[in-house]
Amino acid sequence: MRKTWLIAKETYKRRVRFGSFLILTFGLPLLMIVAGAIPFLAATSAPPSAIGLVDHSGGLVPPAQVPVDDGTLRVEQYGTEEAARAAYLAGDIGGYLVVPAGYLDGEQVTFYADEAPSDATDTAMAELLRRAQLPGAQPWLLARLSDPAQRVLVAIDTGQEVTEGLGLILHFATPAVLGIFFAIAVLLGSSQMGAAVVREKDQRSIEMLVTSLRVRELVAGKVMGVSLLTLTQFAIWGIGAAVGIGLALSSVTGLEGLAVPWRAIVWALLLGVPGYFLYGALAAGLGVIAGDNQQARQLAGMLGFVAFVPFWLVGVLLEAPDGLLAVAASLFPLTSPMFSLLRMTLAQVPTWQLFTALAFMLLSLAATVWFVARIYRAAMLNYGQSLRPEQILRALRQA
Amino acid sequence: MNRELALVVQGISKSYATTKAVDELSFEVRQGEIFGLLGPNGAGKTTSIRMILDIIKPDAGQISVLGGPMDEAKKSRIGYLPEERGLYDDMTLMDTLVFFGQLKELSRDVARRRAEEYLRQVKLWDAREQKIEALSRGMSQKAQFVAATLHEPDLIIVDEPLSGLDPVNTRIIKGLLYRMAERGAAIVMSTHQMHQVEEMCQRILLVDRGKRVLYGPLADIRRRFTRNAVEVQIDGQLEQVDGVEHITRRDGHYRLLLQEGVRPRDLLKRLVQRPDVTVEAFEEVKTSLDEIFVEVVERDLEPGEMPGQEMPQEEHRA
Repeated sequence: MRKTWLIAKETYKRRVRFGSFLILTFGLPLLMIVAGAIPFLAATSAPPSAIGLVDHSGGLVPPAQVPVDDGTLRVEQYGTEEAARAAYLAGDIGGYLVVPAGYLDGEQVTFYADEAPSDATDTAMAELLRRAQLPGAQPWLLARLSDPAQRVLVAIDTGQEVTEGLGLILHFATPAVLGIFFAIAVLLGSSQMGAAVVREKDQRSIEMLVTSLRVRELVAGKVMGVSLLTLTQFAIWGIGAAVGIGLALSSVTGLEGLAVPWRAIVWALLLGVPGYFLYGALAAGLGVIAGDNQQARQLAGMLGFVAFVPFWLVGVLLEAPDGLLAVAASLFPLTSPMFSLLRMTLAQVPTWQLFTALAFMLLSLAATVWFVARIYRAAMLNYGQSLRPEQILRALRQA
Repeated sequence: MNRELALVVQGISKSYATTKAVDELSFEVRQGEIFGLLGPNGAGKTTSIRMILDIIKPDAGQISVLGGPMDEAKKSRIGYLPEERGLYDDMTLMDTLVFFGQLKELSRDVARRRAEEYLRQVKLWDAREQKIEALSRGMSQKAQFVAATLHEPDLIIVDEPLSGLDPVNTRIIKGLLYRMAERGAAIVMSTHQMHQVEEMCQRILLVDRGKRVLYGPLADIRRRFTRNAVEVQIDGQLEQVDGVEHITRRDGHYRLLLQEGVRPRDLLKRLVQRPDVTVEAFEEVKTSLDEIFVEVVERDLEPGEMPGQEMPQEEHRA
């Protein structure tokens, strides 16, 4: 194990310094932040501190102010539209709302401003009109009027109360998002693994290495090193995303008691990490068989797409999440991380199935490392050439 | 077990498809000796080395390494410089050496200390923080040699250790090999540089088409191949001499091939007695290993026809 770790550490140290790794790891999120921030910054403007109101209906009792975001929006009442317009042009108000005489009979209000109001201002205007129509109403009544279908949601599979809104999204989307993360990690990691093995072949250091340690230790170390590299990439992206989401939600209220779907997260790690190593080992095997870097990347890319197969079978899952195909696919090592996670969003996946999937996964990983180690030795001594089927068979026979 | 034997190879064979790469090859290497493994390209030397190192398995035969079958623990007692050179070109020289030292069970500190010592000895100290890709061919060759021997192994197998080195670096590496042999390490040196073998090796094995064609102490082999000939430098003309079968002249010297039973000192006496010539130099002709190699390989003889093909009796004691 010491030598495996040594190989993993050196592989990791060498590849983490590659320019391509640094660009992808830090450049991609930076690009996404810039791309996301530009339209956001362009669309965002400071909310007005005051708004004008001209009531032609005569039936409203507007409040002096209404809450908006973290502050309040002052309400200035004007007798005529001209007065409101003059106040707007003088910069006293950020716009004015004209309530027509037939408002209480169904006529629409008009908002005058040079630009569309922000979502927060829109919400504040709705609140203003609610309060103006029901002066003295209790806050609970105003809240119920704004959201008459307020309810408690209980998830059928867990029997637990799920918080509405974000909680609902967390409950249903977390497994799917983790699954997507897994598939992307496999796609990136497989490609890197294939390239790493071809590079190892080019370096021609194999004979020095195999006279120092077991080939399976070498293969396991390589798989571990490259896999940890991709996991580092995802950890950096994940931390960045978590910080970003945390900052974005810091102003959102009502997050207390949010039910974090721990079961999905734990099983995503338990199945996802060895699953990722399994794909890495298979990609190493394809890299061994490949003759050059291009061929290795193509083969590894094809392997990466296997990780996306469960998405194509979502229809089958939706129809029968506990059907034979769904259960089989959630036990099969190459699809179990994704299928198990996706099934969790639709059904109560029995724990025994998850443990069985984990056992199959670990056995497959050990067998794959063993298999790749056999052909790795044969291929590495076959400098610069792809491995023919008969050579693979011979290498396995000699095991 | 004979403690003096670091390596015992008995009747190993290896075939690829229809080609027999190694055919019942046997030899032994003792501790503290530099052993020459020779043969033309494709003779089966590398295949034999790979079988010794357990990189590939023999189809038949047995190999005893450092007193028994090869196992994982012995890997840290073996040093191997393969013909296919290769280090990680994006690692620094120092990191590379420490890495390979650690793979051979040295602690990080010991590996670093040894690396420092060796780098000074092979004049690579100033390049310790350079990446392997930045090293010249000769520097890279020395670096690879150090990586293969940093852990001071008991059995060292080096494939063309001196190729591509200038005379100064050749001397440095040879010095290290001598010192390792003095320490008691058995060294198997595969090379085509016959003059280096003549200078460094006590015993040799010549392989051709997978078979052993010459094996034993180098001095014995040379003696067996030495023709009954002398080279003389004289003042005068030599056209016919009693007891001489053939005379050739080259570079101001005469080479005389003596008849069967005629000894060089008999010829010297005759020449000295002749009034028409004055002997200025007289030397027995020794056949070079290079000539022996070419002769053996070009004559394409079966092992039974060659002198020295039998394993000496005392070396059978494994």
